[in-house]
Amino acid sequence: MTTVVDSEPGAKPGPARSGLVAVARAPWWLRYALLAVGLGVALWLPNSLYPPVAVDILCWALFAVSVDLLLGFTGLMSFGHAAFWGTSAYVAGIVATKAGLPFPVAVLIGAVAAAVLAVPIGYLAVKRTGIYFAMVTLAFAQMIYYVANKWSTVTGGENGLPSVPRELGGLDLSDEYYFYYAALPIALLGLWAAWRIVNSPFGRVLVGIRDNPARARALGYPVHRYKLTAFVLSAFLAGLGGGLFVMNHESVALDALHWTTSGKAVIVVVLGGIGTLWGGVIGAAFLVRLEDWLSFSGFEQIGLVTGAIFVLAVLLFRKGIWGTVATLAQRRMARRRQSDS
Amino acid sequence: MTGFLQHTFDGLVNGAFYALLALGLAVIFGMLRVVNFAHGAFYMLGAMGAYVLLAELGVPFWWALVIMPVVLGVLGMALERAFVHRLAQLDPLYNFLLTFGLTLILQDLVKSRYGVQSIPYAPPAELNGSVDFGLFDFPTYRVFVLVFAVAICVGVWWLLTHSRVGMVVRAATERPELTRAFGINVGRWVTPVFGFGIALAGLAGVLAAPMRAVNPLMGSDLIIVVFAVVVIGGLGSIFGSVAAGFGIGLIQAWGVVYLADWPILSQTLVFIVMAAVLMWRPAGLFGREEAPA
Amino acid sequence: MRRTAGLAAASAAVLLAAGCGGGGPSGSGDSKLTDDKIVLGVLNDQSGVYADASGPNSVKAVEMAIADFKAKYGDKAITKNISVESADHQNKPDIANTKAAELYDRKGVDAIFDVPTSSAALKVADVAKAKKKLYFNITGATTALTGASCNKYTFHYAYDTYMLAHGTGTAATQQGAKNWYIVYPDYAFGQDMEKKFSAAVEGAGGKVVAKDATPFPNDNFSTFLLKAPTLNPKPDTLGTMQAGGDLVNLVKQYNEFKLRDKGIGLAVGLMFLTDIHSLTPAALAGTTYTDAWYWNFDQQNREFADRFMKETGTRPTFAHAANYSAAMQYLEAVQAAGTDDADKVVAGLEGKEINDVFLRNGKIRAEDHRVIHDAYLAQVKPASEVKEPWDYVKVLKTIPAAEAFAPPSAECKM
Repeated sequence: MTTVVDSEPGAKPGPARSGLVAVARAPWWLRYALLAVGLGVALWLPNSLYPPVAVDILCWALFAVSVDLLLGFTGLMSFGHAAFWGTSAYVAGIVATKAGLPFPVAVLIGAVAAAVLAVPIGYLAVKRTGIYFAMVTLAFAQMIYYVANKWSTVTGGENGLPSVPRELGGLDLSDEYYFYYAALPIALLGLWAAWRIVNSPFGRVLVGIRDNPARARALGYPVHRYKLTAFVLSAFLAGLGGGLFVMNHESVALDALHWTTSGKAVIVVVLGGIGTLWGGVIGAAFLVRLEDWLSFSGFEQIGLVTGAIFVLAVLLFRKGIWGTVATLAQRRMARRRQSDS
Repeated sequence: MTGFLQHTFDGLVNGAFYALLALGLAVIFGMLRVVNFAHGAFYMLGAMGAYVLLAELGVPFWWALVIMPVVLGVLGMALERAFVHRLAQLDPLYNFLLTFGLTLILQDLVKSRYGVQSIPYAPPAELNGSVDFGLFDFPTYRVFVLVFAVAICVGVWWLLTHSRVGMVVRAATERPELTRAFGINVGRWVTPVFGFGIALAGLAGVLAAPMRAVNPLMGSDLIIVVFAVVVIGGLGSIFGSVAAGFGIGLIQAWGVVYLADWPILSQTLVFIVMAAVLMWRPAGLFGREEAPA
Repeated sequence: MRRTAGLAAASAAVLLAAGCGGGGPSGSGDSKLTDDKIVLGVLNDQSGVYADASGPNSVKAVEMAIADFKAKYGDKAITKNISVESADHQNKPDIANTKAAELYDRKGVDAIFDVPTSSAALKVADVAKAKKKLYFNITGATTALTGASCNKYTFHYAYDTYMLAHGTGTAATQQGAKNWYIVYPDYAFGQDMEKKFSAAVEGAGGKVVAKDATPFPNDNFSTFLLKAPTLNPKPDTLGTMQAGGDLVNLVKQYNEFKLRDKGIGLAVGLMFLTDIHSLTPAALAGTTYTDAWYWNFDQQNREFADRFMKETGTRPTFAHAANYSAAMQYLEAVQAAGTDDADKVVAGLEGKEINDVFLRNGKIRAEDHRVIHDAYLAQVKPASEVKEPWDYVKVLKTIPAAEAFAPPSAECKM
């Protein structure tokens, strides 16, 4: 009932629905080729893009993948992930400022804080599913927003934390170009972790819960506990993204906790492709580039463009960029196999 | 005592807005299983529309109170036919996402035309004074808002209990599985009910215009609180939504005064109440647990 | 096998992300007008709460300054190739940070102007310092720009929280407002304003009966408005430090609860001409506030306002006039120095005394780069006295430059 992946009547059930599985069935040479090209691009990115924008893409990719982990693989749409992105942002920022820790440590502490916060919120939220889950997470995130706004002695309130240092063992990271390469390993580790989670036995149980919670319960799986674990892991990944984001901009803004940030993460996932995991990376690259371009082109109504693209995607391209491409490739391959035989 | 009464009255007035918005959300949800994220945007359109009618066409408040709900109701029906309907067969989350996207578009469209600066809108001259309640006096306009909103809620309740469409809506809202199992044709009422829910949001917007800041983002944060309100009341319960609306209005007003020393608490009361409700009654105070999802 | 699939997918995603775009590692460019061009950058809120008060029309004001500069010097101008780049920081410090760096690095901007919202303003000051490029803040109110966060490349124009609070608090108290109830939004600007305002009121012999922090942003001020008449002693003035949409809300509700009829006047910490327009002068009649500039103050201002009206269809706020002035003074300094080398331009600006359409008795203080000038105590006219659109204010008194701003702060170390 709460399957979020495309469930058009008549759509074949089973693995073919998920973009991830579709790609996993790609021939080995294609997978290695994609891996090589992808890593190459990741290494070369700041030469082609303005480096801070490139780091933003990494952060939003982590954020989107964390949301997709819940939405695509657990069937829970969190509309409140800004709570974790933002909490990690504040904690990482405060830790780096007060204790002068190296930035990867600060980011890690931030992500752990996000995961800790996810325990009570998740405990309450997983009591509901579907649309209720979305509303409950949204409301709790807004609560965290108000708390941060009011607790200005710690968070700086509306002003945020203006100057967060970016420290790494005496290295000079003031140039964004080099900071990108310092941040890249953290982002890749986060993405790799997400991929490991999805492809672990635990991940398979999650998909089982998503597709048929009653059956999973009947099989003896503690559904709530599985969902809660997924929620906490997802919050940790969102926290990694939020922490890196702070280091990239060397400041924390209250906006990191606002519900529009949660909304943007969901937009990224839908554009990239729900349940495809890597779709989130593409969606992030697309949206961050688009917003950067719009804000410099003198066009003021960014929400109009992103909103319109998003509505079109929801109406017409529910598989998102990754899902659509994967489906097309799959069809082509199937055709070729047919003509071969 | 006087202070307490004043703040109570004030809380009810603010609760009236929550109640009207939650009522519209609940009615739409009942028929379509759709949570309309754009509800706050339509509230904003109601207020902006009232302003445009007055400033550009010279149409006074009282007419706006009739015209805007009708216009927005029709717009809502058109959106239902054009977009929401297409996603009806899918998971309701898709319509939640769709209406979220529509919110961004509507807000920015209004922004591009009228800017973000708050726009002046004076209360109608007839309601410009204040009413003397003996112990305290209160702005006439606010008294009017409260009386009017209660009248609307009672009117909608009467409609739901005394008309054929009302019974279908109520049945579909509160016992969805059963209604469909009885083979009652819910479909033909879907579009009008969606429009009706939107009209209620528009009405709340027109009512807000003279007493709140009118700008393209006025519904943006409000809708989140209204979401919390319907979670507390129980989205499946029409009565619950209205009751929770007034209740939260009261709790917030008292909170600001009596918890003034704990500002973090007074700001987040509504969410704390929501957390408590989720702990003890996950389906909401007046809600009913649906078939396990 | 599947592992590679996953990573392959991720990497492919990044591939698609790349697209076009210029860049490479950002080298520190040295500026000697080598490319024979000057680029002015306007970084502000193009569509949010400050979009009307500064926003796109500040870009227009800077364009006007360029046109006037070219007209003034003709062939003698250091270059004719002067252009404007603008970016929207949406009042968010993180975006302001990226955009400022981007303007300097990618768009070849020599000086950034405007930048409302204190948090964003401070962030851009850090960028200017790191990139060693000029930065004229106009609409960021925080005194930290010329205090703890001051630096060699940052100049602060127009107003700050001291000017606003000290001007209004002192003058209004001297004119008879003895007992104050102060409400302020609970964020840095509001807190800063409240402290400075209370100090000014008490310094002038007034008494702050009570003060309350209000949530930000806030839709409903009725609790505070209900409380005001019940205080003991009953306040005669409500001092509000709210800005933008919050201010509009508060004033609307102030009128609704008829506080003026109950003997409680209104004083406003920060108000733009566009706020008065949006609230209508009737709603604010009699309210006093401190203004950095007013378009209908004298003939010189009026001439500028008429030209501005032709360009934009609206009257300039002080922010627009200040952007014009800052751009003009920057170009003059480049012309005088014969180079756009930041250090030389800064040297030329420091200590300079200026009189132009915005700056009256203006001086760029070398100690902290505060640009001081006359400020004005203004009062909103009753609706019956408003003779033309946008002429909403009468200037009660000119506050001399030396009194309008705080003396240089010891916290500022260049």
